[in-house]
Amino acid sequence: MLTFILRRILITIPMLLIISFLVYLGLELTPGDAVSHMISPDLTNTVTEEQMAAMRESLGLDKSFIERYWSWLTHIVQGDFGHSLSGGVAISTIVLDRLPATLELSIFALVFSTIIGCVLGLLSALKRGSATDSALTVVGMLGVSIPEFFFGLVAILIFALNLGWLPVGGRLLPSYDSYWDHFPNIILPGLVLSLMMTAGVMRYARSAMLDSLSREFIRTARAKGLPQWRIILYHAFRVALTPVVVLIGFRLPTLIGGSVIIEAVFQWPGIGLEFIGAVRGSDYPLVMSIALLSVLAVLLASLIVDVLTAMIDPRVRLG
Amino acid sequence: MANDLALSVKDLKTFFYTNKRCNKALNGVSFEIRKGKTLGVVGESGCGKSVTASSIMQLLPRLSRIEEGSITYHSERGDIRIDELERDGAEMRSIRGEEIAMIFQDPMTALNPVYSVGFQIGEALQYHTDLTKKQRGERVIELLTAMGIPSPGERAKQFPHNYSGGMRQRAMIAMAMSCNPKILIADEPTTALDVTIQAQIFNLMNKLKSENDTAIMLITHDMGVIAELADDVAVMYMGNIVEAGTVDDVLRRPQHPYTRALLDSIPILGRGRDQDIKSIRGATPDPYERPKGCQFAPRCDFATDACEVMPTEEAVTDTHRVMCHRYKEIFENA
Ligand SMILES: Nc1ncnc2c1ncn2[C@@H]1O[C@H](COP(=O)(O)OP(=O)(O)O)[C@@H](O)[C@H]1O
Ligand SMILES: [Mg+2]
Repeated sequence: MLTFILRRILITIPMLLIISFLVYLGLELTPGDAVSHMISPDLTNTVTEEQMAAMRESLGLDKSFIERYWSWLTHIVQGDFGHSLSGGVAISTIVLDRLPATLELSIFALVFSTIIGCVLGLLSALKRGSATDSALTVVGMLGVSIPEFFFGLVAILIFALNLGWLPVGGRLLPSYDSYWDHFPNIILPGLVLSLMMTAGVMRYARSAMLDSLSREFIRTARAKGLPQWRIILYHAFRVALTPVVVLIGFRLPTLIGGSVIIEAVFQWPGIGLEFIGAVRGSDYPLVMSIALLSVLAVLLASLIVDVLTAMIDPRVRLG
Repeated sequence: MANDLALSVKDLKTFFYTNKRCNKALNGVSFEIRKGKTLGVVGESGCGKSVTASSIMQLLPRLSRIEEGSITYHSERGDIRIDELERDGAEMRSIRGEEIAMIFQDPMTALNPVYSVGFQIGEALQYHTDLTKKQRGERVIELLTAMGIPSPGERAKQFPHNYSGGMRQRAMIAMAMSCNPKILIADEPTTALDVTIQAQIFNLMNKLKSENDTAIMLITHDMGVIAELADDVAVMYMGNIVEAGTVDDVLRRPQHPYTRALLDSIPILGRGRDQDIKSIRGATPDPYERPKGCQFAPRCDFATDACEVMPTEEAVTDTHRVMCHRYKEIFENA
């Protein structure tokens, strides 16, 4: 198991290198460079070419692309992401500041959609063909096909504006001092973010469950005289869990992408909101760092999923 | 007489309902399994052997139902009408695996891939005995040893994919035998295995039968297997038992044309490849469009107009019965 994890981490490293290179290349290809962005438009005419060149040299921009990439990379490995162009704050500070909010939202959505998705999928499979099953199927289809921002806006309209049950947005109430004080704030964005994933997990869990219920080892388990609940949970569900975990792993990037939108809709002060601000303000170093971190998050997530699948399914460990 | 029986099935009818059509998979099946003896059930595929086994275990698919007849398990506590028990009720579950156990055709798919073999054998013990976890672990190793699995301690912790086909079937047998059942139903236990392994599995089953006094219902489509292992034989065709008796009765003095055809279709060992094996003419009919009378008539060389009517079971001797209008004439001619 340990060698499996180590091998899996080793595969991740070259992937990270390639992606970091692509991100850096992408930045290189955007029009203008840092210097042209640092000079306010009113001054463009008065600044001479020599002054620009001097600035470039002082920032190291006259070096070759590869040299610059290398120095950027070595800094990042040491945790130094450089500074935001607007305000000059260290990017690592910004990220660390915003990360908890995003993690909170994503983990809420992940836990909710995994548990509720599995439970509903299981129910749907066990009551196949019933009214409950059909209703859940319809809800599931709506869930995966309607865009999140739309859900978000509708949810705000109904639950925050019309009914006034929950706050419109933001993360903290003014009187914030314990977690439960700001719990009402996470309900709407958390649920909306998890909706699509819940629907996906549910549909997948249903079909995985139907598949495993029809397998022969279920008949063996029944022939042993095991009670129904044990056959369903220990034998059918346990086997159905592997594809579901893999699906959740595949869907994690959409959770990360979705959180950008949801954070914007609900003004949730996480990395996604910061990212939108950075894009608007052409704050390229910040955009680049966040993009790279999201990639890292996705790779990390898929690593975790692989380890989890190997733990759940002994056959995976062979390969 | 009656108290040496382990199970009696009387006039059992099990029907399938698919797409609003009815498949009379078992259309009046009667037989007995004697304590500590092997009943061989033989017939071409699709004739209802597995449905018979599932009916006894109450493991029928949802769209099928026991319509008529009775299945009586002669337990030490007295007779139990299995067909009257609730399918997944506590009483049926306590019989399943503990008193009547079953092994299946394909050991590759019959074990759960995500649990160790030891765990899966231990599960039966957990639900049917008062053994502690530690005692169960010991019993599992004891069982695997008895099944001839080398280094059983290691093997118990391994998963089904670490086992070969023959070993998996041994593990299945270990699971079935774990609670010393009175009856073991083996549904084509070696069809998926190669010939040398087949012989080992059958030896093992024979050993278990004599050591534990377990009655065995051995389902197969191979007359050769019957000749070697069975004490009694039931020949099935399209939902009926067309001939039944002791091995001697059925193999030496076959009465039904179908039994003879089956016997003619076994290759005899040592006679080489060019022997005259007669395969049975035609194919089994569509189960939804069955012949009106004798089910075998369309493929039978001796069929006459009389065969348009369903024959009844007739006793040839005390132990031997047959379901054919013309068995007397045919037997004389042979
Ligand atoms: N799960 C099922 N669904 C529908 N029909 C079935 C099912 N299992 C068996 N049957 C039908 O019951 C009849 C007997 O099948 P079976 O007992 O499996 O034959 P075999 O003698 O080969 O074991 C066949 O006509 C088959 O089509
Ligand atoms: Mg069968």
